[in-house]
Amino acid sequence: MWDAYLFEFVNFYLIPGLVLGCIYALGAIGITLTFGILRFANFAHGEIMMSGAYLTWTVMAIAGYAGLTLHPLVAMVPATFLVILLFLGTDRYFYKPFRKEDTIKVVMASFGMMLIIRSLVQVIWGPNQIAFVRGIAKPNEALRDFTGNIGAMIIMPNKHLFIFAGTLIIVVALGYLLNRTRIGKAMRAVSDSPDLAHVTGINVDNVIRATWIVGGICAMAAGVFLVMDTQMLETTMGFRMLLPMFAAAILGGIGKPYGAVAGGLIIGLAEELSAYPWIGGAPLLSPGYKTGVAFAIMVVMLIVRPQGLFKGRSF
Amino acid sequence: MKNTLMATAATLFATSALADVNIGNPMAMTGPIPDLNAPIAAAVDLAAANVNAQGGMFAGGEAFNIIRADSACDPVAAVDAVTKLINVNGVSAIVGPVCSGATIAQAESVAMPAGVVTLSVSASSPAITSMEDGTDLVFRAAASDAYQGVALAELAMANGYTDIAVSYANDDYNAAIAAVFAEAFEGMGGTVTANEAHEPNKASYRSEVATLGGTSENLALFSYYGSGGITLMRNALETGAFTNFIGADGMLSDELIEQLGAENLMTSTFTTSASDSSTPSFAAWQAIADEAGVPAADPFVANGYDATFMMALAIEHAGSDDRATIAESLRAIASGPGEVILPGQWAEAKAILAAGGDINYEGAAGNQDFDENGDVAGNFSKSTIVDGAWAAELIQ
Repeated sequence: MWDAYLFEFVNFYLIPGLVLGCIYALGAIGITLTFGILRFANFAHGEIMMSGAYLTWTVMAIAGYAGLTLHPLVAMVPATFLVILLFLGTDRYFYKPFRKEDTIKVVMASFGMMLIIRSLVQVIWGPNQIAFVRGIAKPNEALRDFTGNIGAMIIMPNKHLFIFAGTLIIVVALGYLLNRTRIGKAMRAVSDSPDLAHVTGINVDNVIRATWIVGGICAMAAGVFLVMDTQMLETTMGFRMLLPMFAAAILGGIGKPYGAVAGGLIIGLAEELSAYPWIGGAPLLSPGYKTGVAFAIMVVMLIVRPQGLFKGRSF
Repeated sequence: MKNTLMATAATLFATSALADVNIGNPMAMTGPIPDLNAPIAAAVDLAAANVNAQGGMFAGGEAFNIIRADSACDPVAAVDAVTKLINVNGVSAIVGPVCSGATIAQAESVAMPAGVVTLSVSASSPAITSMEDGTDLVFRAAASDAYQGVALAELAMANGYTDIAVSYANDDYNAAIAAVFAEAFEGMGGTVTANEAHEPNKASYRSEVATLGGTSENLALFSYYGSGGITLMRNALETGAFTNFIGADGMLSDELIEQLGAENLMTSTFTTSASDSSTPSFAAWQAIADEAGVPAADPFVANGYDATFMMALAIEHAGSDDRATIAESLRAIASGPGEVILPGQWAEAKAILAAGGDINYEGAAGNQDFDENGDVAGNFSKSTIVDGAWAAELIQ
């Protein structure tokens, strides 16, 4: 059953697709929440991811000087607070003044923020790439031996195991927050109808703040997982993730966090699996067109089912 | 019509408002190769400093100014940067765009319509040879990849590869050198088992690597290190898809060692445009560069110095910074007949030109004699890891 083809399919196409999908999913959660609750497409989301990764690296580097080797997932915690402050600060000074204006103005404000944040990072950390973790990641030996013994060898480096586990924890925690807590229910209420929520006594400002905090944590995790995977920091990496993340948010349905998770996984898998030699020996689609796959899914979805898989809002 | 108007307006602006000689210098300050770019930019500044320290331009000793902009190794950014340099700063000529895609785009849509000479420091795509379209406005101080691709194929053969998979980033430079390489390698009796483009700037190339990895142990990788090259190599090493790697300039950076670790690069060889260090020109350059703290032998650094120095010589030869006369003067000072001028000999060259004599600049990177297409011949080196750092060896 576990022949050479399946080995290749699972290890070189399916798992990488899932890793990419997890990163897209976490990024898309933040986009879909701001889109659903604040009603604008936040173009600065990718840059927040990127700056979060740089901050995490800085925390690791400072700890390194003090003789401590911090795992990125640990260094992420203090960095997350800074990113949340950045989120809240940009909202207070750049988005809030436009809250009652046309949506397009706040979209443009977020576009400006995107350029400002990227340039700031280039000024502070420089335009050069920075190595996040040196060397190459070897597969986890325990997992390889165990799966090898039962006849279905899986080769996965530790970083991918961390990414899967981290994504799972965040998605479960998010589910709890939205379904079981007061603020989570308020967030869903504002997402459905801000005016009605206001009338029933929900503090909309608190909800907006909570949205930025949840979005910030997810963006942060997406950024750190991305650099854990690619092992390098680069100032345009967030921007490059923006299109697939928007595609994932639209695919899942705007305002639907679970939709964003499903959408992210589907986009990630579709990008990687489109290059699998499904028919004959040649790749189904030249890998050069990977980006096009995410874009094509988004366009088709907008035409066929604009409300998305999970019946989000359509515009 | 619009371009003619813009050019006219810019020329008026240039001649009326500024006495100094201004050269536009769009460099890849940001983008995928900032590490490669930095020493080239330093060499450009060094050449200008040499000119200004030894009497400046013309009889009046006017300043030779480098106006820098960021072409980001990107066609769109290069067009923006050069449009600003030509129309706002009113520069006399362009020295610079580092990447082939950027050079082609800015020449086609801005510099050539405005009648401004482009002298690239490192663009090596074969497509640049034939792009001038009846004009004589595009020059380069680095050799075409029509030669480097062949040199690389010979290297692959010499390394004993009989089959190889090719993966190239989808841009003007990488696609062109990959095509030259694949043709040359097959011409020498080798087998190209797969030849696939990859999209730059993706977070993962595992499916690309898996698809190609089934076909051969050897990978010819044409990519910029900063826009996917390192990630692709990392994915290939992690999955064990390939054993041996070869590639060209775009990948040759200390960033590879920094990020992948030298111990993982022992089976990698990358070629680059190189200088023959045995020539008197190179010795002269080495002395100047060492004094200024510029790495003389890094990729395209000598070419950057040559390009800037030749541009200054050409304008001095023409006697004015009028855009129309620069191309002709560039040819006159770069090749014989005439007194040989080595890097840094600005005062000597100035004296000969003032007396009405001819000069022939012999560059640090090569003799820099332009052929009818504005191309120069060049040497190449191969770099492998020795003691944890790249060590270059001249091959042609």
